[in-house]
Amino acid sequence: MSDYIVEMKHITKRFPGIVANDDVSIGIKKGEIFALLGENGAGKSTLMSMLSGLYEPDEGDIYIRGEKVQISSPNHAANLNIGMVHQHFKLVPDYTITENIILGVEPISKFVGLFPYVDIRNANRKIEELSKNFGLEVDPTKKIADLTVSMQQRVEILKVLYREAEILIFDEPTAVLTPQEIDFLLGIIEGLRNSGKTIILITHKLEEIKKVADRCAVLNKGKLVDVLDVKTTSVNHMAQLMVGREVSFKSEKVPAQFKEEILKVEHLTVKNEDGFEIVKDVSFTIHSGEIFAIAGVADNGQVEIADAIAGLTKVSGGKIFLEGKDITNNSIRKRTETGISYIPEDRQSFGLFLDFDLSTNLALKQYYKKPFSSRGILNKQEFEQFGHKLIDQFDIRSGQSIKTQVRSMSGGNQQKAIIAREIDLQSPLMIFVQPTRGVDIGAIENIHNMMIQQRDQGKAILLISLELDEIMNVADTIGVIYNGQLQKIASSESLTTNEVGEYMMGAKHE
Amino acid sequence: MDTVIIDGLSFALPLFIMAIGGIYSEKSGITNLALEGFQGFGAFVGALSAVLIANAFGTDVQNLFYVSLLFSMIGGMSFSIIHAVLCIKFKANQVISGVVINILALALTAFLTTQINALVFGAASDKFQLGVSERFTIEGLANIPVIGAVFTNVYPFQVIIIVIAIFAWYLLYKTKFGMRLRASGENPHSVDAAGVNVLKVRFSAVLISGLLSGLAGMCFAYSISANFSSNIYMGYGFLAIAALIFGNWRILPTLAACLLFGFAKSGGTFIAQSMALPSSFTDLFMVLPYVLTLLLLIFFSKSNRAPRALGEVYDKGKR
Repeated sequence: MSDYIVEMKHITKRFPGIVANDDVSIGIKKGEIFALLGENGAGKSTLMSMLSGLYEPDEGDIYIRGEKVQISSPNHAANLNIGMVHQHFKLVPDYTITENIILGVEPISKFVGLFPYVDIRNANRKIEELSKNFGLEVDPTKKIADLTVSMQQRVEILKVLYREAEILIFDEPTAVLTPQEIDFLLGIIEGLRNSGKTIILITHKLEEIKKVADRCAVLNKGKLVDVLDVKTTSVNHMAQLMVGREVSFKSEKVPAQFKEEILKVEHLTVKNEDGFEIVKDVSFTIHSGEIFAIAGVADNGQVEIADAIAGLTKVSGGKIFLEGKDITNNSIRKRTETGISYIPEDRQSFGLFLDFDLSTNLALKQYYKKPFSSRGILNKQEFEQFGHKLIDQFDIRSGQSIKTQVRSMSGGNQQKAIIAREIDLQSPLMIFVQPTRGVDIGAIENIHNMMIQQRDQGKAILLISLELDEIMNVADTIGVIYNGQLQKIASSESLTTNEVGEYMMGAKHE
Repeated sequence: MDTVIIDGLSFALPLFIMAIGGIYSEKSGITNLALEGFQGFGAFVGALSAVLIANAFGTDVQNLFYVSLLFSMIGGMSFSIIHAVLCIKFKANQVISGVVINILALALTAFLTTQINALVFGAASDKFQLGVSERFTIEGLANIPVIGAVFTNVYPFQVIIIVIAIFAWYLLYKTKFGMRLRASGENPHSVDAAGVNVLKVRFSAVLISGLLSGLAGMCFAYSISANFSSNIYMGYGFLAIAALIFGNWRILPTLAACLLFGFAKSGGTFIAQSMALPSSFTDLFMVLPYVLTLLLLIFFSKSNRAPRALGEVYDKGKR
């Protein structure tokens, strides 16, 4: 018996065209938080999929509690007390929390000793107890459709705990969460460890690892780079191992040169579907050569401001001027043509057609104009040329160049494609909503540099972000929003991170 | 007035059990336009078994009702295997598969009926004569004004249908099979992640829809048509689909929709007869349920919500 609860020895896994894992060996001790660090496509998820029974390794052996095993299915993994908290939740929206958790392992009772039925009431009780034990309080009778993303994640965690998992794998658990929710989740993860569970945390966020993990394995392009003791390793060193080169967290930029006014928002008010004022009397201006960032906790109205400017949401009060022209009631296409580029928050639903090829996606904002089409007939050749041009210019990586189905591309490259398309419009105003959400460090650096480059070329840039670090890093001017109102507008040099944080919580008023 | 209720019910209940079959299939995520074909083929197998047995043993066809009911269920279920295999194993388009099965059922049963009549019975006929199932009246209850009609001249199959419907509700909403089935139609990935085979669940759901449709087809054959012929393909299967959509894929509201269609049909006939109109007008009144369908469509389509994964081919890799 070794002191490892999980051992993976010389694991190799090949997919057509790539080696996802190349001779990787790791050992995980009972009761530790073991982090797997790597960029998108480094092979973290593949490695863990072999532990959770989705794939079987081509070469190498897996040992659980010292015994050699072949994990053939998720059920088998569950029998070995291994559970995976998926990044993409697998929940039935119409079912209650309880129904989702017990699906597949339903507790059965019998009516009059004859007719078996699923004993929901009993399960409700059990789950309530379980959720209290781990500090994950939920109301088991609530429907999934009525829950926030972070609550849905709790359900996913409870699902694994209900199946009595001892080894819990978290796949990028914080990608969809706000900073407060992330803190809460990390607390939960520590609590789970303290109650004796073994945690494997897949992530590319270094701060999280630094905060909770005990040890950390770094993967790069399918190979194991190193296994580190987190306490004694600096964040910079980890980042360097992960990316394979120096990374700067601080973007290089020259002082901003503000020129003429591009966007002017006056007393903007936006109501949501229920008639509730979600943006209240917001006014600000953005100049050519300025990055204006709106900081705030999620759901405080910042996305609605961006949507109102881009024309996705109706304005219920106030005016929006672009280069002096009133665009408050213009259609979206009119706005695009007047000069707005928009990088949406949810790139997969609003930014791309996932099942269309790359060249089509790149031409989306111009397809109806010459030379892309004439008299309503599309000119495929132009699409292709244009696609090749942007792919070269912005270094968009994909399997089959312009013919690649966008769905198959990595998140970072999908985002690059959108940014390339929007930059090419040469609009005076560019709106970035959460541009680095879910993309890895190398790509984040790249996106920040592109934004700064655009600023230096005289664009006005509106950045909406939940990542305070990102805002402090790239913004020239910061507006802090709380509860639909701008609490403070000031140049980024005059504010500290802590001050912005206080305005974000509504603790400080002008 | 009583005849409106009596005839309405005897039409609505087979429609209802067929709609429940549709609910099973669609709740599991498989679009099912093939109900029409299932009920026709089921009725064909049931009717064929009845006339064959009657011929061999000299029994009266009318007494073979229960035997034929059993065979119709087997027939409907067997025929539904085609839809299940096409849609689930070969991932075919579910709408196309459904339409093709309907056409296939009509052609196949019409052809086989004439051939069997000619070869086995030596008669040139395109139908199997069955007669009308015997009815019963519950004395006492039948004397209650208006409601009494519900207990008058009841076909035995109406009772059978109600019992099966209650069991179908229990199976769908109270058992683990039902829970997994409904989840498969909402988010099959969650079912898969829970270690349950989505394809098996969907396969059984389609078979259940075939079984119940076959039963319904036999009931029609033994009541309104009194024979099996290609007349069985009157669009009842589509009416059942309409009913389950108005019923929002739920069993009780679907019963209400079926009753509405049933009374619209019997009411239409009643009006046509009481006005002593020529028979060509009767045909006009017969379309009442379908006109009603159109009208309801306008009001109900907004609030309706189909199972989320309905008609989607389940592909493990796609997220």
